[in-house]
Amino acid sequence: MFALIDANSFYCSCERAFDPRLRGKPVVVLSNNDGCAIARTHEAKDLGIKMGEPWHLIKGRPELRHVIAKSSNYALYADMSRRIYEILVGFGEEVEPYSIDEMFIDATSITDRGAFGVALRRTVLRATKIPCCVGFGPTKTIAKLANRLAKADRHGSGVCDLSRPAHRRERYPTIDVGEVWGIGPAAERKLQKLGVKSVADFVAMPESVVRDLLTVTGLRTVSELKGIGCLSLSTQPAPKKSLAVTRSFGQAVTLRAILEDAVCSYATRAAERLRDHRLIAGAMQIFVTTNQFAKKDLQYVNSITVSIEPSNDTFILAGAALRALEALWRDGYRYSKAGVILLDLEAQGETYASLLPSRDPEKSADLMEALDVINGRYGRLTLRPASIAARAGWAMRRGNLSPSYTTRLSDILRARS
Amino acid sequence: MREYKGDRTTGFESPARDYIEPVIDLAVALDLRRPHTYPVRVTGQALRGRGIHDGDVLVVNAASEPVAGRVCVAIVDAEVLLATLHFKDAQWWLHHSELKSRLVEGDVEIWAIVEALVRFDV
Repeated sequence: MFALIDANSFYCSCERAFDPRLRGKPVVVLSNNDGCAIARTHEAKDLGIKMGEPWHLIKGRPELRHVIAKSSNYALYADMSRRIYEILVGFGEEVEPYSIDEMFIDATSITDRGAFGVALRRTVLRATKIPCCVGFGPTKTIAKLANRLAKADRHGSGVCDLSRPAHRRERYPTIDVGEVWGIGPAAERKLQKLGVKSVADFVAMPESVVRDLLTVTGLRTVSELKGIGCLSLSTQPAPKKSLAVTRSFGQAVTLRAILEDAVCSYATRAAERLRDHRLIAGAMQIFVTTNQFAKKDLQYVNSITVSIEPSNDTFILAGAALRALEALWRDGYRYSKAGVILLDLEAQGETYASLLPSRDPEKSADLMEALDVINGRYGRLTLRPASIAARAGWAMRRGNLSPSYTTRLSDILRARS
Repeated sequence: MREYKGDRTTGFESPARDYIEPVIDLAVALDLRRPHTYPVRVTGQALRGRGIHDGDVLVVNAASEPVAGRVCVAIVDAEVLLATLHFKDAQWWLHHSELKSRLVEGDVEIWAIVEALVRFDV
């Protein structure tokens, strides 16, 4: 038995938790560089703002003049996600942090699920001010569906239990198949062509038809919907196969030195994340692109993949990235985005790093440890390869960024006596 | 570059090497990592009588039950205020220097209870 607890409009709810002026108002949170609406309160959804809509294209609409648009504050969202996770762990069951705002709980030993769901919601709301919904089901897919139903019923209890087969038989004919976890818009269109509209229609399909249409993944989803578990609780993330740091620039980049700066800082960040996961990389892909929406600009997209000395040393990775960029750079373009993707990842220490390392491995490990400690304490890029400028022209645009209320002492909530 | 904690000496071996204890961690002492604990900065001098000064950092508990006479962080008229809690006629009331007593209901909300205080410039 699983419970899925999912925060309502998580990013917006994090903003609201510390800023009472946002309560009851339509609020959206924008993606990096203040691009698209990636979280919306229900007031904002009611005004017709769609998930992923580019904010600069719609913000002029008269009906949206009172919408408050916040830049994404991932430092805050991560800390609030941590708080929710720790609260759930405090209930004594296994918890899987599936995404920043969704957590599965092993609810096998819970006898009174209704009361448990209500207690989870109330405890999370009091401690974090973030409203959540809880769904129960014998499989993850059913728990996820139950959560959707709980969320759709705005004035309900916020808890929905689909653990009883009779209850599922009653509800499945009323739920669109597109609501099911794993059924995306393309799969939904395919199913609708065959007249499969509801979840009940979907689970009634012959297995061979499901397999032909949606492969074994579709079959797995059907089994899960029937209450046959195919997905178990995993408390560890799947081993990483690649690690990407890619960003759009705050403004178009035309100077080579600035692009080098950006790529070097992405490689630096990627190296930090590698060390955090205790991995080393054996290859690297670098890509650069111009803005394909800027029709007047000359367009250029290119990438290069290179083998590197297996390592997670910032200086080795940044150096490789800069050499790769040399091959990609063309004068005369307005670059809008670049990325560093590390490939051939392996656990640190499990393989011979390199027969002829270009840097003393022990010294490198000590230096990287010192780098991580100092940057952890004083902020990212406090210590960095000398090729990265302190304040870069390519940095993210975050025009309406809230304070880091919980992670920076200068930013904490203020209360007037 | 390793941190020296009184253990790894180069000449004479440190007699303290098996007795190293970490620096006192105020984040632990103040329970800052608990999911319901938040730091809050005071603005204003109205609670000096309670020993709460402008600029102090309060450690507040968002999960704690209200207690009469304690100071709380409250949301009143879309503003974050520090108020004193009172219990009268089976209801909770907030006292604040500039407001008449406000009943805790609807948009008037107790956000957290103040539990500890950190002052930097003593």
